[in-house]
Order: sequence, then structure tokens, then C-alpha cells
Amino acid sequence: MDLVPHIVNGLSLGLLFALIALGFMLIVGVMEVINLAHGSLFALGAYVAMVIINPAFADFGGIYAAYVGLPLPMRYVLAIVVAPALVAVVGMGLEVCMRRTYGKDPLYGLLLTFGAALVLEETIRLIWGPTEQVLTVPQGISGAFLFGGLIYSKYRFFAAAFALLAILLVWLFLERTPYGAVIKAGAHDSEMVRALGINLTRLRLLVFALGTALAALAGIIMTPIWGLRPHVGVDAVVPAFLIIVLGGVGSFWGAVIAGVLVGLAVGLTGSFASQWSLLSMYLLLIAVVTFRARGLFGKKSVLEL
Amino acid sequence: MTPTTDGGRLITGPMLILFAALVTLPFWVQSVGLYQYLGVEVAIWMIYALGFNLLLGYGGLPSFGHGAFLGVGAYAFGLAQFHVLENLWVGLLAAILVGIVAGGIVGLFLAHRRGIYFALLTVAFGQVFWFVSLKWFSVTGGEDGLLGIPRPSADFGLVEFDLSSNLSLYYFTLAVLMIVVVALWRLVHSPFGKVVRAIKQNETRASFLGYNVRLYKWAVFTLSATTAALAGGLFAMAQQSAFPDVMNLVSSGTIVMMVLIGGGFVSFWGPVIGVTVFFVARDVIGSITETWLLWFGLMFMLSVLFKPEGVAGLWQDSSGESPA
Amino acid sequence: MAKKEDFKVSRRQLLLGSAATAGATVFGPWKHNRVYAQATDKPILLGITSDASGQFANSGASDRRGMAMAIAEFNEKGGVLGRQVETVHIDTETSPATGTRVAERFITRNEVSFLIGAVSSGVANAISQVAQKHGVVYLNTNSSSPTESGENCHRVKFVWDGNGSNFAQAAVRNAITAFGDQWLLLTNDYVWGHNTSKATRELAEAAGASIIDEILVPQGTRDFSSILLQVQQAGPKVVAAAVGGDDQKAMRQQVAQLELGNGIAWINNQQDWPDVYGLPLDNLFGVFGTTWYWNLDLPGVQDFVARYQAMFPDTRMRVPGNVFYNGYMATRELLSAVERAGTTNNIAVIKELENIKVSANDRMQHHDAFMNPNTHQMQQTIYLATANAGTENSDDMFKILSSSAPDDVADPNAEAACKMESYEDTPTYET
Repeated sequence: MDLVPHIVNGLSLGLLFALIALGFMLIVGVMEVINLAHGSLFALGAYVAMVIINPAFADFGGIYAAYVGLPLPMRYVLAIVVAPALVAVVGMGLEVCMRRTYGKDPLYGLLLTFGAALVLEETIRLIWGPTEQVLTVPQGISGAFLFGGLIYSKYRFFAAAFALLAILLVWLFLERTPYGAVIKAGAHDSEMVRALGINLTRLRLLVFALGTALAALAGIIMTPIWGLRPHVGVDAVVPAFLIIVLGGVGSFWGAVIAGVLVGLAVGLTGSFASQWSLLSMYLLLIAVVTFRARGLFGKKSVLEL
Repeated sequence: MTPTTDGGRLITGPMLILFAALVTLPFWVQSVGLYQYLGVEVAIWMIYALGFNLLLGYGGLPSFGHGAFLGVGAYAFGLAQFHVLENLWVGLLAAILVGIVAGGIVGLFLAHRRGIYFALLTVAFGQVFWFVSLKWFSVTGGEDGLLGIPRPSADFGLVEFDLSSNLSLYYFTLAVLMIVVVALWRLVHSPFGKVVRAIKQNETRASFLGYNVRLYKWAVFTLSATTAALAGGLFAMAQQSAFPDVMNLVSSGTIVMMVLIGGGFVSFWGPVIGVTVFFVARDVIGSITETWLLWFGLMFMLSVLFKPEGVAGLWQDSSGESPA
Repeated sequence: MAKKEDFKVSRRQLLLGSAATAGATVFGPWKHNRVYAQATDKPILLGITSDASGQFANSGASDRRGMAMAIAEFNEKGGVLGRQVETVHIDTETSPATGTRVAERFITRNEVSFLIGAVSSGVANAISQVAQKHGVVYLNTNSSSPTESGENCHRVKFVWDGNGSNFAQAAVRNAITAFGDQWLLLTNDYVWGHNTSKATRELAEAAGASIIDEILVPQGTRDFSSILLQVQQAGPKVVAAAVGGDDQKAMRQQVAQLELGNGIAWINNQQDWPDVYGLPLDNLFGVFGTTWYWNLDLPGVQDFVARYQAMFPDTRMRVPGNVFYNGYMATRELLSAVERAGTTNNIAVIKELENIKVSANDRMQHHDAFMNPNTHQMQQTIYLATANAGTENSDDMFKILSSSAPDDVADPNAEAACKMESYEDTPTYET
């Protein structure tokens, strides 16, 4: 069996996993809050995007007709921009709730987000029902192409490329902008941030908004592959969790590399011993963490205390 | 969780209140609109939750994969009935032994972990157990579960009690619960319990004082897992089956939720209260609306936000004394 | 549960037992036989054990609507045995452990007359075990695992859906002739998947096909890319997929993206209407089974659809599907059986149900249907369908390819596998 297609496939899967973990990584890295609602926000992003692409509202003075008359690619791009922004607002609301848990046992933050995950999932079920939903994507990125005698999905390559782009943009934001510098400082030393006269409250709000927006973005990108149903979030939060531990809390590239490793592990076992493909990521985690307590690139974190 | 004056006693006031309430339960359970079988599950979950709180409340170690041990205990009970001997004691012993082994092995990986890494590794191990229970269907019956597990009678040599009705099983479970309550109460007030609390407060200091922190954490984890497995054995009897779904992430998260909402952080009785609140809320709200998890989730969020010490904390505030 | 829970209490036990729990007599004798005073004005209560959350929430809702329509029709005619029919529903959460608890609650607290509803076979098993213990008749409306009427059959349980083996019988031989003899099996790595693939393998090999590979798909798989690459590299003529639940939904979407549905012939198992309704047609690749379709050209079908639309005008699903149909038919046949038996006594109703024969006309299917008394599975017409490409009507998603008579698609292994409790071992129950 030719190995190359399987490696390429594993890499693309890895980039998608890294994208799923990105928002989770940001929040846990900077704020040391484990956001268990990550998966529900992931799902919410996809649902909101679905509504933006194909709204089903009453027509007020022809606005609706004019809107759905817009070409699909335009509505799709709009959804990719607007849906994460709307979910970020929900995320900011969650952060405001979270404030009551700061300075307490980190477990409370985790439990609050666990509750939020339940509430969000049930709300989705209440609004959109339990039915399987579809997120339409533009013609240009759907369908298949032939390469080397094998058929590949165009959307998958688009999604992997998009994931790569998102990863690079977040990295540039963290490394090359003043906001990023403050966030990074906050990750290591919140006293320092305060001493510099930066408003820590606003910083946390910003980080949460960004983290949840990234969760929503991942949801929009993954939906055409995974499908969309109210409980889809649990499929996202578990790998995100796992990737962060594998990569090490607080390490950007740790998360990205761990995502790619998990993708390769799942993809390659999927190709050669498919029945073990899901177990492989847990075994990888246990193997790595047994030898490296803080994952591949982890730093010391208050969450350990 | 401060030691109270009751700590040295074998049987305390709250214990007597709890036992009295539970012993008389079959007489009033129907009239409050509930049913006997629910009593069995509540008693089993109390055992599970009390053992879990040893880890969470006393050890400060949040496990998000504890359902694995409940499940393992249930499978062990069932498999022992089918392949070893159809006998209650054999089944429960098998559940306990498998709990010790599984908890002991997982504990080895976790004993030197703290905080988030501890929590995450418990998730990973929980998923592995769940996955194996689904996959190894020649042994576990896969997603259909292990069906037709008998309820052997409780043979005490001189006396033999038939456990086939939910009522008799309830009294048996209650007896086990009483033993677990007394044993755990003694344990948390023993020198061992004090060291565990010291480790929770400051691991470094505890190790400077000469305690083998890893050994203590390993022991707490294994004990807690074993209690869960014992509860699992009883659960297999109640359900007459063992299913993989008690091992999944959501189920494991639910026990954390129950213990916290009851006030496991501040009181020995938190888990007992939490289990009662959860089961009754689920039964009552669940029969009114399909979206009961929405309401329970909201309740839980409000509880974490405004009263993270849970129901037990609320009670302590209002009565001005510790219920423990 | 094959074991009878008989009650042997020695004198010694009895003495010591009652001494240990003073006042044991208050609880009455601990036995299972329950006969309630028959009050003719007391409604007949059906306990609905269907999922409202989890993987099968959507099908569960459709199932309940089917039951509701049948019940409404009986109540309009004045009820059953002069009693109105009422229902109580609790979410079984697609979880067997919850199924057990809900069943216990319905029987001991709500004192329901019958239990009804299932999509997941795990949940159905859990419920049927409790139902058998108490002797309560339980209708498994929509779980299509062959084990339901095979090794996990029970005297009190009746199965209304076609199962994986029936669909394989209907599909395999035709597919070899039409598409070729190089087969690959895609098997969800759990009990249902293995059972279904085993049935397919036996039939395919018996008909001269060769199975070039069997790929196991772990339950919970969301990314099928590596598996679909393997399928392409193996180059089969036919892929027989036994992939269910959410895994199937993800796979469907990914096969559609690759347009793999065009190149290779796919044999899928049953496609439940609530799972596919409203999806783009390319998600419905290959050939798949169903027990009923709303656009069958048979008498009564149009009227049935009209009744559905009148009763559920706001439902997103504008036409009923197979899950609704099973829920409706099971409920209707149960209530008719009660009427014929003249009592809600469980044994009398079981005997009526075991001898059900329904004409093709009443079933709105192509062939007469009947209950197999030895397996308690409804033997019915099995249809093969494919996507109705080029349709104008977005509700008309299926093109029916063939219909098979019940005897041609009967599960050959069920009778040997099913060891049912005797009537005597089934406690009496009536309410």
C-alpha cells in the first residue's frame, strides 16, 4: 500500500485537530481556565453560521429575498466572519460569570464551564431540534479531485489550508502585536501586567472572546466533514483537551505539534489498523505524559497547585 | 473541611438521621411520588459519591474518569456470576478486587500528578476503559452490555436473604452503605485522613514533613476507585446488567457535579446530599420536561457562581454550625 | 433473562428475615405477580420509553408522533375496552442504564399497562429485561438489530422493525448480479455492526461473491478519510456498509464530498427517514433498505400522509417516514390486540400479538405481514431504495427499487438463537 496518501491525509487531519484545539489552548494558556464549554461553543458557531448562510426568517420588505439572492460564497464568507463574532459575545458573557471563580480553586472554573456546556447544548437542541443539519459550502470548495489515481475531497484541503492560516494568524497576533505581547505577559505573570498599568479585566475578556471565536470558527470549518447535531461538541472538546495536555499547557507550538501528532496517529492507525484508530490518541497521550509530566512543551502552571 | 468534634466518634448524630431516613424510606417513598427502585440507585450512588469525595473533597484531586471504576466493578460482578460462581460474595469480592487492581494501576500513572494534568489523565484513562468495554464485546457484550446478571441471595451462613425484589436489594444496599459511611468517616478522621488533607493544602510542605506524598495519593486514588467498583457491583445487581455508558465522559462528569452541588468541598455529607438532589431533580423535572438537563445545568451554574460550597454550605450558613 | 425468579423461602429464613426487618408484613408478600383491581373507567396508560436526547433523539421524536396518531384514532372511536388511552414519556437518553430506571419507574410508580418505544438496541435490551421481570408487554418499535429477535428475545417483547439480516437478504443477491462479485465490508466495530456484516458475508459468499476485505470502523469515528482511502486502494465493486448512528451521518457526508457514491456500488443498511430528511440527495448514496415509504403507490398511503399532515402541521418533517410508521403500526396493533383479547392481562395480550396477521392493505405494504410467534419479530415487506435523482419534490427523496416478500427475507438464524421464556415463567401483569 502506498504510504504517501496516508501521511498527507494524517497531516491534514492533524491541522484540523490543531484548529479545534486552538481556542481551548488560548484560554487555558493565558487564563488557566479549562473551558469545557469549548465543544458547545464549537457547535453553536456552526449553527449560527448555518443560519447566516441559509436564514429562514419572514421577509420584511424584500430584505430577506435580497439577502438570499446574494451569491453563496459571499454569504459563506459573511458567516465565517460574523458567526465567530456572535459566539464571542456569548463567550464574553461566560467570562463575566467566570469572574466569580477567579482566585479560587481552578476546579470551580472548570465546573462552571461544564454547566455552561450542558446549558448551551440543551439550548441548541431547543432552538434547532435534534435533527441532523447541513452547512452548505460554495461550489468552489466542494466536490472531489483526482490525483495519482485516488480521489480526494477539495473541501478537506481547503479546511486544512484554512486551519494552517488560522494558526499562523493567531501566532502573528500573539508575536507581532502589542495586544499579543500583553496576552503573553498575562500568561506568565498577571502581576506584571497589572504593574504595567494594563487593565487585566479587559485582557481576560479579550482572551475569552478570542478563544470562543476560535472555537466557533473550528465548528464552522469542521461541520461539512463531521455533520452537525446538538451533541457534536463532545467530539471536539475531548480531542482539544487531549491535545493541550499532550502539547503542554501554555505552549502555542506545543498544541500545534500535538495536534499534528494526534492527526498522524489517528490517520495512520486508521489506514492500517482502523479498529484501533480512536484508541491510538489516548494511548499516545498516556505514553507521552508518563515520561514527560507536563506534556511535550509544557511550562509550570498554577493549575497544578 | 475542618475536623469536627464528632471526628473521634464511631457513629454520629447526622449518621443516625441519615440511617433513620433511609431505613424508613420504603414506608414513605411511594407517598412522596417516588418508587423503591429509585431508592436502590440512590443508595448505590451515595456509596459511589462518598468514595469519590475522598478523592475530590479530601484529596483535592478531580477525577473526570471515575465512571470507569463503577463500570469495571459492574462487569466484574457480572462476569464472576457467569464464569466463576453464582454467589453474592464472590461477585462483590470480584468487584472489589478488580477495583483495587484497576485503581491501583491507574493510580501509578496519576500519583505524581496535580491539578489539570491529573484531571486530564483521568479523562484519558476513563476514555480508554470506556472504549475497551465497547470494543471487547466477546467479554463485555459491547454496547448491548452484559445482560441477565443474577441477583444471588445474601447468604450469611445462618440466615439467607433473597434479594430478587427491589425492596430486599434496597436493604442490602443500605447495609453496605452504612458500613461504607462508618468506614469512610473513620478513615477521614484517622491520621491517614489528616495527611491527605495536608497534602491537599500544600503538597510540598507535606513532603518536607516527611510524608510520602505519592504513596498517599496513590492510596487515596485506589481506595476511591475501589469504592466506586463496589458500588458498580451493586449497580450490576440493581440493573441486572452492566453497560458501557456509565463509563463515558458525561457520566463521569455527572458524579463530579453531584458531589459539588451537594457540598463535597465543605462537608463529609456533601455527596449524600448531592446524590439525593440530583436523583430527585432528575426524576421530577425529567418527567415534566425533556429539557431537564437545561434546567439542571442552569441550577448547577448558579450553584457554582453563588454557592460553590453547595447545599451543605448553605446549611452551614443558615444553621451556623457544621453538619458534619 | 432466562432465569426464573422463583421464590424459595425456608421457614428458618422466613423467621429470621421477618425478625430482622420488623414489620415486613407491611410490605406485603414479596412477589412479582401483580393484578390490579380492574376499573373500567381507569385509562389504559402506555409508558413511552423513547430517546429525546443522544444519538437517536430525532428518531425518538418521530416514533412518538407515530404512537400519538394511533392513540388519537383509538380515543376518537371511544378508546379501548371503553377506556381512554393515555401516555407518559420520560427521556431514555439513548442510554441503557437510564432505560432500566425509566422502565422500573413506569412499572412500579406509574403502573403503566404497556411499555413502548426504542431505537437503540442497547436501550431496548435494558428495558425488555425489566419488562420481562415484571411481565409487562413491551413493544420495540424501531431497533433494527438482529439480536433483538434472536439471542435477546423475550416473551414480553415484540419487535416491529425489519432487521439487518432482513435487509441483507433483500439486497445481497441482487447486488451481486447488478454490480459484481468483489465485495468489501465496512463494519462498525460493535455488536450491531458485526452481526449485520456477518449476515452480509454469509449471503454474499453463498451467492458466489468474494469478500476482499473487511474494514472495522470504531464507534465514534468522525473522520473517514483514511478509511475511504483504503476503500479506494482496495478497489472493490461493491461496498457493503454496516455503519450506524452518528458515525453513519459523518460517513455519508464524507462519501458525498468524494463523490465516491458514484464510482463504487454501495449497499447500506436501513436508512431511517428522520436521519436523512432534508439532507442533500448526494448523501443518499447507493442502495439502502426501508420498510415503508410515504410515496408508495398503494391504497391508503395518501390518506395516511394526509392524516399525518393534519395532526402535525408544524413538524419540520412534512411527510411521515419509516420510524413514524413503525411507531404507529406497533401501537395500533397493540391496541387492537387488547380489544380482541378483551382484557389488558399480559398473557392474553401476548397470545393475541403472537398470532397477528395483517393484510397488505392494512399494512400499506406490498405483502401481507405476520408476527413470528417464535421470535416475536414482525415479518414484513422489505424495500430497497436509492436516491431519487432529478426529483422536483424535495420530500420525494427515495426511489423504490424493489419489494421483497417477508418469507424471502426472513432471518434464517433468529429462531435458533431465540430462547424465549415460557408463559409460566412470565409473571402475570394486568392494570
